[in-house]
Amino acid sequence: MPPFAGESVPQFQPKSDSNIVTIDVGGTIFQTTKQTLTSAGNKTFFSRISDAVSSSPRHTPFVDRDPELFSLLLSLLRTGNLPSKSKSFDLQDLIQESKFYGIENLLVNSLSNPSQFEPFNLQKSLILPLNGRDSVSAIATTRHGSLHVAHGSKITSFDWSLRRKSTVLTQFTAVDSLLAISPSIAAAGANDFSGLQILDLENGFVKETLNWENVTRTGSTVQAIGSSPDYIFSSFESTRRNSNAIVVYDLHSLQQVTEISHNEIFGADIASALPATKLQWVSGYNLLMASASHGGPSGVSGNVRLWDVRSGKLVWEMAEKVDCFADVAVSDSLSVIFKIGVNSGEASYIDMRCLSDGNEWVCLGDKRKVVNGNGKKEGNGCKVETQGNQVFCTKGGDVELWSEVIMGNGKKNKEGGVEEEGGRRIFKKNLMGRVKDMGGGRITNLAFGGSRMFLTRKDQQCVEVWQGSSREL
Amino acid sequence: MEEESTSHATAESHPRDRIKLNVGGKLFETTLSTIRSGGPDSLLFALSNRASNDPNPVFIDRDPEIFSVLLSLLRTNHLPSTAHRFSKQELADEALFYGIDSHLRSASAPPPFSGIDASIIGSIRPASEGLPSAFTAADNGSVWIAHGGQVSSYDWNLLHAGTFRTHLDDIDSICRVWPEIAAVGSQSDAGLHFYDFSGSRHVGSIQWNDPSDPRIFKARVNAITASENSVFASFDCPHRENCILEVDKTKIEVVSQLGRQSGNQAKHMVPGRLTFVPATGVLVGSAVTGGAFGYSGYIRLWDPRSGEVVWETNEPGAGRSSRFGDSFAAVDVDVEGLALFKLCSKSGDLGMADMRRLGDDPWIYLKEKNPSLVVSNGGGGGEGSSSMVVSCYRGQVFVGRDGELEVWSRVRRQQEEEKEKEKERNVERGREGGEGLFRRNFVNKREDSERGAIKKIEGGGDRLFVSREGVEGIEVWESSHSASVISVL
Repeated sequence: MPPFAGESVPQFQPKSDSNIVTIDVGGTIFQTTKQTLTSAGNKTFFSRISDAVSSSPRHTPFVDRDPELFSLLLSLLRTGNLPSKSKSFDLQDLIQESKFYGIENLLVNSLSNPSQFEPFNLQKSLILPLNGRDSVSAIATTRHGSLHVAHGSKITSFDWSLRRKSTVLTQFTAVDSLLAISPSIAAAGANDFSGLQILDLENGFVKETLNWENVTRTGSTVQAIGSSPDYIFSSFESTRRNSNAIVVYDLHSLQQVTEISHNEIFGADIASALPATKLQWVSGYNLLMASASHGGPSGVSGNVRLWDVRSGKLVWEMAEKVDCFADVAVSDSLSVIFKIGVNSGEASYIDMRCLSDGNEWVCLGDKRKVVNGNGKKEGNGCKVETQGNQVFCTKGGDVELWSEVIMGNGKKNKEGGVEEEGGRRIFKKNLMGRVKDMGGGRITNLAFGGSRMFLTRKDQQCVEVWQGSSREL
Repeated sequence: MEEESTSHATAESHPRDRIKLNVGGKLFETTLSTIRSGGPDSLLFALSNRASNDPNPVFIDRDPEIFSVLLSLLRTNHLPSTAHRFSKQELADEALFYGIDSHLRSASAPPPFSGIDASIIGSIRPASEGLPSAFTAADNGSVWIAHGGQVSSYDWNLLHAGTFRTHLDDIDSICRVWPEIAAVGSQSDAGLHFYDFSGSRHVGSIQWNDPSDPRIFKARVNAITASENSVFASFDCPHRENCILEVDKTKIEVVSQLGRQSGNQAKHMVPGRLTFVPATGVLVGSAVTGGAFGYSGYIRLWDPRSGEVVWETNEPGAGRSSRFGDSFAAVDVDVEGLALFKLCSKSGDLGMADMRRLGDDPWIYLKEKNPSLVVSNGGGGGEGSSSMVVSCYRGQVFVGRDGELEVWSRVRRQQEEEKEKEKERNVERGREGGEGLFRRNFVNKREDSERGAIKKIEGGGDRLFVSREGVEGIEVWESSHSASVISVL
């Protein structure tokens, strides 16, 4: 009970020109300022109260809602954070109430804001169980932490608070690539089913199926999906596997804009004509990163390409012959392309600030590495994802966190102590999690949304959620 | 008097004048002196100045419940029991808003730390690679933990304040140079490195170089300590030659080099522990190695201004040691009480030496007379223990033998109290070497000792921090006046 619940009216009335606003919520009197109310944004319940008070200052507006929940949301307006006593309330009630007052976005910002992502403080904290027997094939997140999980032919989506979920059935036997367009819309594709489907997950129907009209007039399967603020990119391959392209669609109208990286395979020149299997938009450079790899008898080969989508030109290319990547990702804020070699399992990077024809991967040696001498492909199945200033790599059941160490204040060390030769950047890794979390099943998917990290493991019908200890939901 | 000034609204206000505050719709009334006790820089002080000629209460658009907690804090200097409804973070944030965070800090600080009455309140565990390799505690009870090449900072509330990654793979020594700057050293990489917490970046490094001797390179840091203006770090080269460098704290430049030695004997090894004693301006360094033939090492005192050795002892062998063959396994300095403490490797006894009367054999041995507590070989200490740690904090000596944590504390007697008071009057602080009865007690319970061998003990801000071999995180011990009664109904 709030300590002031018994008081009917405060002992004073503010002057009419005062900045102070008095509100009666469910019999409890609250006072706040107009600034606080308007900080909720236009056209919310609070701005309407503020306007009403301005027009008739003598009148105290009455709101027929629960005063305790209101006091929590008022604190949220004042400080930007929910008070700790909100822990004794169900988050679902708070979300309902914030929807009533029109400030759900403030609640989302305080609980699931990407800027509050604490990479060094992440710990395994929640498990989201999935029904049925299928293991997870793909996951996708939105910026504020809604999550879509494809398992078997189903897609289960969790809202940003991870408190509510809904499951829909798709036409695919298994979804191989998944992209979250909004908390209720996802794009899905499969390696064995023609077409990119835009799914309405709220109502469970296919909004639109996008097909690539290839020359061979066969179906087109989806190898990868990516998105930028304006476009959806989809890497298609014809079902006969003799042509492929990346098709660019407008994100809003879903109309095809252009087609890049079109390859027709005649003869044996397979290596250069691989369909892209990962698409990542690099907004800082306005480029699309497309990577492709192919395992053959002579080992894995592949390529990493950067495309200018507007002109459709290939800007930069890196052919991967020796120690091809197991996975590759671009970090926008660090300006690096980061890969894990499939044979060595070593992390390497290319500095994007000096892209040229002669770029070479800079291997990040690791003194602490345990040498694995049995010739096994160490990097096989590794995933690389970037978030903020960090690069996350999975190796088996563990997640490695790579971060850059910014050295020196311009004081150069001629003795060659710390300052590495040739302007080499220093990246260091850490194994994430506590000892008890180590060595789980192999990690199959890794994604980031809001202030959280999501991962799935082989043969497990659940999603692990890692979050910072101070921002737990 | 009070009514007078409220009606007149004079420019001068009396500290006993009353003031009304409207916090988020709830009316509070208090005196100016209460609200001003937060100090002239606080928001409440600023509001109290404005209030005197305004009949309306000052309106603050904040949560009234938490304000009522902070107001009773200002009134009584104690946190009311209602404070438990709020998280530490929330109270700290709100106190910062009102500008009374120093009040909150002093009110929520634990009582003076007493080893004989301490309990474990929890452990601080970093989220990743949680095995601490080094840590350092500060006077306000905050702690910096080095783990897996990262350094995590925990504030006075023991809340996680930040983590940064260093370029080192392991950090074996860490020292607080400035409130935001840490000096770190590693056994696997050369140099002393300075990192800034606020920018999480490297701000400078120091290498040991000798232009006339090319063999001096890639020197690693073994121990770091800081004085008011300088940082002292002991470096040793791969060929074991070693020295201590004095580094200017503000410029991050080498000032002087002291105690350079070849490292070819036990008594010329690099100091593994350095302590600066501000009261006398002396730097204490010690080195201990344990081998098949027992322990050997030295304790040495330098005067950094002259670079001279003021006093030293080597064991085994030096002086007229009354205990031959019982050389020390661990050493620490009581900086406030000006005493050296050593832990004998064989007998497990604690040796104490007054730093003001160091002579040929200054040691006084503190023995356990209680037969049930006597350290027996193979039992709870002595030769049976593989790891021994000693640390002084607040006039108490904490000893870790394997997993056991014990404290030696002085028994206070009536005459001594008076003597001490007398001495304080004569501005001659401290105590006589031989006087004062030390008693040994276990700090931990039997089950606590099974968690792992104690690696490091350090006190700070009325807390004792303990790290154990192979255990994630560090333990925090505090004394408490709360009886914490357990109901068995």
